[in-house]
Parts: sequence; C-alpha cells; structure tokens
Amino acid sequence: MSDSDAGGAVPAVNFDKLVQRLDEAIAALADSRPFAKAGKLPRLFDTARRVMLQPEGFAAVQARAEQLEMAGVFIGTDWAEPSILLPFLTTSALQSPNADTVVIESISELRLLAIARGEFLHPSMSAEQAHHYLTQVLAINLSLLFGEGGEAEREQGKLALISRGVIQHIAQEIGYEHVIDRLIDEIWRILQQRPIQVTSVRRMITQIALCRIDPAIDLGGAGQGAERLISSLYGPTQACREDPGIAVYEDRLLSMDTMALQSEATGFARAMHDTGLVSPYHAAFVRHILEKQDSLLTEALGLSSTGRDCLLCYKELVHALISAGVFPETAQGLYGLALLLERGILYQPPVAPALWRQVLLTTCPAARERIQLAYGYSPAPNAWLIQGVMNMLGQPLGVGQGNNPTCQSARALSMWAYNDPDYLLQMVAWAARDNEIIMHFEGKPVSSARSEGGVASEITLDLDPVSLVVVPHLDRIYAEMGRLCADRPGDPHKWVNPEFHGWSAGRGFAINVDVETGNLQDAEGFLRHFYASYHPFYNGNQPLIHPQPAGVAVTDSAARFIGWHAITILRAALDPEDVMRVYFFNPNNDSGQNWGGDIVVSTARNGERFGEASLPFEQFASRLYIYHYDPLERGEPADVDQDELQRVIDRIHNSWGRDRVPANTSLQAEPPPSDA
Amino acid sequence: MTEQTFNTDKGYIALLGWSLNAIEAADKFDRRYVVVAPDWAEAYCKEHDIPYVPWNFERLNDRSFEIAQTLKDMGVDVSIPLFEETVEWAGAINSVLMDSPRLFGQAMLLRDKALMKRRAQLGGIRVGIFEEAHDKEDVVRFLKRVNQTLLKLDGDPNDPIHLKAFDKAGCLGHRVIRTPDEVDTIPEEEFPVLMESHLDGWEFAVEAWVHNGKIAFLNISEYVTLGYSVFVPATPDLEKYRPQITAEIEKLIKTFDIEFGFVHPEYFVTSDGTMYFGEVAYRPPGFKVFELLERAYGFNAYQGLILSFDPKTTAEEIKAFFPKEVVDAKGYAGCFGVYPRRRVVSKLEMPEETENHEYFESHELTPPVEETVTKRTAFGTHWGLIYFFGEDPYVMRDLLKHQEELDFYV
Repeated sequence: MSDSDAGGAVPAVNFDKLVQRLDEAIAALADSRPFAKAGKLPRLFDTARRVMLQPEGFAAVQARAEQLEMAGVFIGTDWAEPSILLPFLTTSALQSPNADTVVIESISELRLLAIARGEFLHPSMSAEQAHHYLTQVLAINLSLLFGEGGEAEREQGKLALISRGVIQHIAQEIGYEHVIDRLIDEIWRILQQRPIQVTSVRRMITQIALCRIDPAIDLGGAGQGAERLISSLYGPTQACREDPGIAVYEDRLLSMDTMALQSEATGFARAMHDTGLVSPYHAAFVRHILEKQDSLLTEALGLSSTGRDCLLCYKELVHALISAGVFPETAQGLYGLALLLERGILYQPPVAPALWRQVLLTTCPAARERIQLAYGYSPAPNAWLIQGVMNMLGQPLGVGQGNNPTCQSARALSMWAYNDPDYLLQMVAWAARDNEIIMHFEGKPVSSARSEGGVASEITLDLDPVSLVVVPHLDRIYAEMGRLCADRPGDPHKWVNPEFHGWSAGRGFAINVDVETGNLQDAEGFLRHFYASYHPFYNGNQPLIHPQPAGVAVTDSAARFIGWHAITILRAALDPEDVMRVYFFNPNNDSGQNWGGDIVVSTARNGERFGEASLPFEQFASRLYIYHYDPLERGEPADVDQDELQRVIDRIHNSWGRDRVPANTSLQAEPPPSDA
Repeated sequence: MTEQTFNTDKGYIALLGWSLNAIEAADKFDRRYVVVAPDWAEAYCKEHDIPYVPWNFERLNDRSFEIAQTLKDMGVDVSIPLFEETVEWAGAINSVLMDSPRLFGQAMLLRDKALMKRRAQLGGIRVGIFEEAHDKEDVVRFLKRVNQTLLKLDGDPNDPIHLKAFDKAGCLGHRVIRTPDEVDTIPEEEFPVLMESHLDGWEFAVEAWVHNGKIAFLNISEYVTLGYSVFVPATPDLEKYRPQITAEIEKLIKTFDIEFGFVHPEYFVTSDGTMYFGEVAYRPPGFKVFELLERAYGFNAYQGLILSFDPKTTAEEIKAFFPKEVVDAKGYAGCFGVYPRRRVVSKLEMPEETENHEYFESHELTPPVEETVTKRTAFGTHWGLIYFFGEDPYVMRDLLKHQEELDFYV
C-alpha cells in the first residue's frame, strides 16, 4: 500500500461494507432484465474480485453461491451448466491475465464447493459430482496449492492471489490431507478402466511428481502411493530410474549387455501392465531392440504364450507398426499393441492386410489437420493414427467420447473394435484417406460428406487419434439417419441402431418410454422380455453372442433423471459372489458413476474386465429404457419372477420414472420428452 | 415479457436512441414504450423481445416525417431524446404527436450553442462574452479583444478563451486557447465554433425535471474538475446557492418556453455569487449522472424522465415519485473519468489506495487496446469511469480530486 493522502491515510478495507456492496451488486443483477444483465456484470465482477482479495472473501462468496447463480452470473457463459465443466480447463482460466475470467472461474469453483458441502442444492449437479470435480481441480492445480509462482502468475499480478487463494480455500474446506491421496485413488480408479485417452491422467501424475520433488512443498505423509504411477511414466526401469531424458537413455542402451536389456524389457512390461501407462523410455527401448535384439520384444511387451504366438506369426507386420507408429510421443501405442496381439485378432484373415494398409495409408489434409491440432507436428499424423488404431483394437472398451455428445459414435467404434476389427479399419481408412464415409440406411447410401450436420455442432480435440478422425463422420451419418426416419412414429433408434452399428445388432426393439408423451409404457412387458432375452436363467443359459446397443436413463446420485445415454451390453454373468450382473460398456470417459438409490456402477473387483462397467441385473434393468433383441430367440418370459420385476419397477418409479407415470394412474402434468 | 406491468391508461412513450439503462428502466416501469434506434439494434431487440422501430437518425431527408407518422399511428404520445443527436428529432416528432409546431423550433434552439446563448440573453439571463468563429483569424481576434477588455498589457499572461463545437454534447470538442500560437493546432474541419470568454468561477451543472412548466426535481451536480469528476448531491458550499439556482432555472424554463421534460444546463457562479449561464441540453447528462442519482437517492432517473415527458402524468404521480432534494439522499455518489497520464501504457492497474478506499464502488475501465496514448488536444473521451459512494461530501470531493494524480494505466 502506498501512503498518499486521499482523504487522509490509506484506509484499511472495510470488509463488511465491501460484502454489502457485493450483495447490492448481486441484487442489481438479479433485478435486471435479461437483456440488461451484461451491463451489471462488470460491477459485480469487480466487487467480487475485491471481496476475494480479503482473507474472509472466499467464504463470503461461497455463502452467496446460490444467489450468484440465481442472479444470472453464469447465464450465457461456458460456466452456465456446472455438470459439463472440465477440470483441466480451470488451470488456464485461473492463470488468465484477464480479471473477469479469473473472477468468474473462482466464483464457479466456490459454487461447486457450496454444492459439494450441501449448502447449495443444485438442480443439475449432486454433492458427490461436485466433490469429485473439485478433487480433480485440486489435482490439476496442485502447483497453485503448493508451488512457487510461475511466469503466468507474475503476469497476473495481484490476481494470482485470487487464483491461488481459491484453490487453497477449496483444499482447506475439502481437507488437504485427502487431496493427494484421494487424487491417487482417483487416478488408479480411472486407470483400472484402461482408457485409451490418458492425457489428463498423465497431466495429474506429472503434477504430483512436480510437487513431490519440490522442496518448498510439504506434503506430509500424503502422496506415498504415487510412486508406482510416477515411475511408470518417468522411470519404470533401472536404467531410467532418475528420469535422465531420452537422449541419455539411448546412450545407455548402446552399452548394455543382453542381461541388462532383458531386465529393462521386463521392467517396462511390468510397469505397463500394472498401470496401463507407457513410459516414453519404453518406446525408445523398443525401437532400439527392434534392430538387433527383436527376440526381446516378447518380454518388452509382456506377452503371454497367445500374444507371443501371434507376434511370431506376424512379425513383419508388428515391426512395421512399431517403426511407423511407436515413438516416445506415441509410446502409449505399445500397450495397445500388446493387447491386440493377446486378443489374437490378427488371425482373422482380413485384419493383418488391413493393418498393412493402415501402415502405408496416405491421410487427407482434413484428417492431418485435426491430428496436428490435437497432438502437434511430431511425429507425423500417420504415426498418431497407427498408435490410435493399435490402442483401439487392443482396448476396445477404452474408447471415450471426450467432451462431446457423441456417445453413439464412440459406442459404435468400440463395438467394431471389439467385434468386427477389419470393419473398424475400413472406417478409419475411409475417414482418414478419403475424408468421406458412406453407410447404407435401408439400402439408401448416406454420405458423411453430404450430410447437413451432426448431433454435435463441433467435435472437440480431447479424443484418441482414431475418434478424432472418424467420429466427425460417424456423427454426421448418425444424425442423417435420424433425419431419414424423422417422420416415423416412435423412437428413431429402432431403425437407426441396427443400420448404424451393423447386422449383429438385434432386429427386435423394445422401449419403455412413449416418445409422444415421455411417459412410461408397458414397463412389465419390457422388463419381462429383457430378462427372457438376456438373463441366463431365463434364456436357456445362452451367453450373449454379439454386443448389443442399449439405452439407459442416467440418473444422478440423488436418483434424479439427467439424460438418455447410449451404452453397449456386453454380457450377463455371475460375479465372484454369485450375483448375476450385467457387464456393459459406457462410452462416457469414466464409467464409475453413482446413479442413486444404492446403484453405484462398479468398474473393478466384481468380475469386470478392463473397461467394463457392471451392475447387478436388477439394478441395471431399472435404468434401461431401450434394448435390442433377436425376435427369433424368445427365451422363457413366463418364468421371470413377478417379485423381481416389481422390485425393478419400483426402482424405476423412485428414480427417473418418477414424473413419467402415465396420467391414468397419476394426475401429474407431463413435460415433453427431451430425447437426446 | 411477463414481468412487465404496463398501465394502458398512461402514456405510450418512444425512446430515441439506444441506451440499455434507459430501456431497462422503461421495461420495469408502468408506461408502454418503444425503442427507436438504428437497424443494428434489431437483432438484439428481437432476441430479447424489446419493442423496437428501426430508424436511422443520421439520414435527414424528405422521408423524415415518416417516423413521426409511424409513431403516431402506433399511438405513441411522446418521444424522449436520449442523446444530443436525437434532440431535434424528438422536437420534430413531438411537434407532430402533440400537434404543437413550436416544439420543433424549441428543439433547434436547444441544439445550437450560439442560438441558445442569444435566446438566453434575450430572456435576461447573464451569459459571458461569446462569438461565433468561422476561421482561425476570428479566434485570434477574439482572444486579443477579450484580453484587451481585461486591460492586459502585452507580455502579461492571457486569460484563456474556450472553443466549443455548436452541436456536440458536453465536453466533446471543447478546447482552451491561451496564445495565438495555439490557434494553429485547431483543425480546419472543426470550424465553425463557438468562442467564449473564460469565467473565473465555479462551474456546476443542474438536472431539472420539468412538469407542467414547473420544476419537479432539481439536482445540482458539483464538478470537482471539469471533464474529470462529478458528484451528487453537491457540497453545502454549493447547495447554499440553491434558491438562486432555482430562480435561474425558472427563468430558463420561461425563456425557452419549456412545458415538460428535462433540462441539463451548466452555470458558473463567481465569487460574488453571480450566476453565468453556460449552455443547456434537453437530454440526459453524460458522466452517468442518472446512475449517480439513483445511487444517491434510490429513484430511477430514466423513469423520472418518462414521467416528466408523458402528457398523461398527473401532478400526484410526480409528487409521489421524486424524493426531496438533498435531505432524502442516502449519501454522496460520485464518479471520476480516467485518462491515461503516460504516453505509453501496457496495462490497467487500479491503484490500491483507490481500490481499498471505503468509498470506492466499482469501475468500468478496460485494459488498453493500444500501447501509445493519443495526445489529448480537446476535452473529450475518457477511458472509463470509476464510481464512489460515501457519507461525507468533502471526503468525496477531495477523493475525486486526488484521483487526478494517480496512474490507472501503466
């Protein structure tokens, strides 16, 4: 503070008055007409900024979170809908030199804190979701929590006090000691699902690593569990334990004997299969042994006898894939390659030749541009695409939709990778080389190049390389198919799903929601038939043959309806506790969700394979609203236990079906369906 | 909009010009309204259901009558000018709507600074020495003559003269000239201009709402430094002249034959208590004085404008709407217009002493777009306003004055 004489000495800030000014600014915004709100914001932002510069300021804003949102602070901004906020975007917002950006981001974080603490009952976000989000925000902004200020902060000047303060306030409220440990648990939980896209996981691990080596940061006892995560990225083996850099490591490789190389190979493989993460050193190592000691490849990929056989049969192809697609930047492809070999899909006649085409594929400018925008200029786009293909074929259940409303396209990619790999490779070739995919809808060709537009107005870049290139095409085709049956009565998925996903999607179609009214219809018949088709006890113990598209009504942890969502039913089987479960694939980036009313989707430890989500049969059935079946395989509908069906129906009525009970049994007014 | 509660027994008003604050005030008030603005406003009005009639105020031609007819056909009772440029439009339109041709002549008087001074003089209002200048010669001659009159000898520092554009709002185009050399800095395109002698006095402004030819509410705005800062209500030092000021305004209303609406004149009061008329505008003042009034008194000055223009307003409504001057104010509201002081600036940085001051409310400053600050030749465009509110008028005055010594852009 300076010592000038503006009406005497510089007065200390009168906090009560300041907060009163904030309340006045909120009231002015709340009272204003929608067309004039923008004009009231500068005053509110500036006052909020000053409030947050005071020690008690964050708590004051947190306490007003609900009023702020109601007044319309977030209307028309990216912050309007908290459930779609992305934790990793907070970093750049908080480090922005623009005061308004920092302020609105901080207000939004404090709003989520109020939601997480149960102080603000938000209509579209639960306390758990908010808590979960804030944990990730803390993880990604660990440097603000503990670290020294960087260049970005210096540029910000006094604003950095707010960015730093808001993160520290959140950490204090949520509990410092839990932050790191919870974050580590969180990372492990996500990794257990073996996602293809690991960018954000890598970023979080990097943050933890930076905090741990920074002497200025005292983590106390926290963060011990991070060792394995950090080492799997930055030093999985003896020769790179201290993260020496690729160049130094390559020098060391030159002077290693066979024994040493052997131990490096097994070290890399162990780390990779432990975490699903691949270190850039691993890529350097594999490229090194490829020239003279390719016998070590089996160890370096950690292959079982199945994978090894496959490798030996298709050695040249594997070599070609590695030399064209595996670089330190694209190291993650090695994990895909290992799993791809283990799946034995190379033995399907068209797959190997299709991969040869992939190796030599010329990419069109549009595909190249998208890949370069997302991943940069090195290595070449084709290398990224090869990495993407290997990962998708190796981890078909690791596909994620990113921050896009394109669950159907992500589900289709996953289904083909799982079930029909050469078809997937065909799609990639068409999209990446020709910039056009043509599918057929009831005999009529549908071109992605001549469609009016997709479900998503714009496909974001937070996707794996294959999705990045193929999803824009699939999304447009999907939307076009929807338009082609727009004038048919009933739900368009009935016709679109089988045409879009392929012949193996069942031609029978069941839905328990009346599209006209949004009301439930024939819940019992719907469920009875579902049990008879999918439940091994009622379908003659027939395991599901092809993965089937299905639709679920997603609910939040308070069992409130959130939206319709596309998933794949993979199998129904008894889990280790002898509970009949449905195992399914959710194209959402993180399947572990709490759907309310004791329904918590499990992703591990209940017999799930990597990438699978599961629920007990009854719980799953209570969120299902669309499924496909084979009309010729009817099962035994009459055998299904009435009590069990009634329990499921009760669950529906207590969750997403609450306001959808038809009018003849309830007099409630009905909103129109908001089908996605 | 469902929130609107219009009383169809009252007048239907048209706002001339685009001002979101005015529109919002109208939308929340009980009079039906329509916004008359250029067609760039159309999309916004459509999106937000704002009643709107497109009109391009810059184009004057024989179709100008159309807007008056359009509004008349819609049933509009009166139009209200929001900006200097729409004052004569309002005069023209209202003369049609109210079937009173003299309103147009009145508006023309109020638009031309030279004409308005002559009219004031004719009405017995004291004005300084003034003349119109058509070229630089005229300016030099006027400067010399004014200083001769003041019995200055060659070599004595000259008293300055003021140059103003005829038809621009407030300080736009206002220059101060002290020496003949400075005359060369005036661009040719600024001519013709109005020249005035400098009055050593205290300049202040008045906002007066007029209904049935009588003052409904009279505010005195105290300038701390002209073009920099203003606050309402004024200090007791200035408020002590309120009776004389009220008498002056009544004279003004009579001279200009003003029956309704709003006047915003400027005066000088010299050390012996003599009032000199500067100029008068028939539209809301700049420097967000309306917003300051709302902050100080709690009434919406735009709604007051609507009331005072609406021919269907009753005297009771006026009485109920306006508070009592000075005594009803909850405090003093002021604002300061920031001009960068350095030639090269890179960012906006609010001085901590300003920001932490108890009176500080908010600011509208934006980060600089260009690094080099254009040299300021005339009074005019500040880079944004800073708002203050507090209980003591003298603290307010000194605080506003002190801001002039601070850098907001560094």
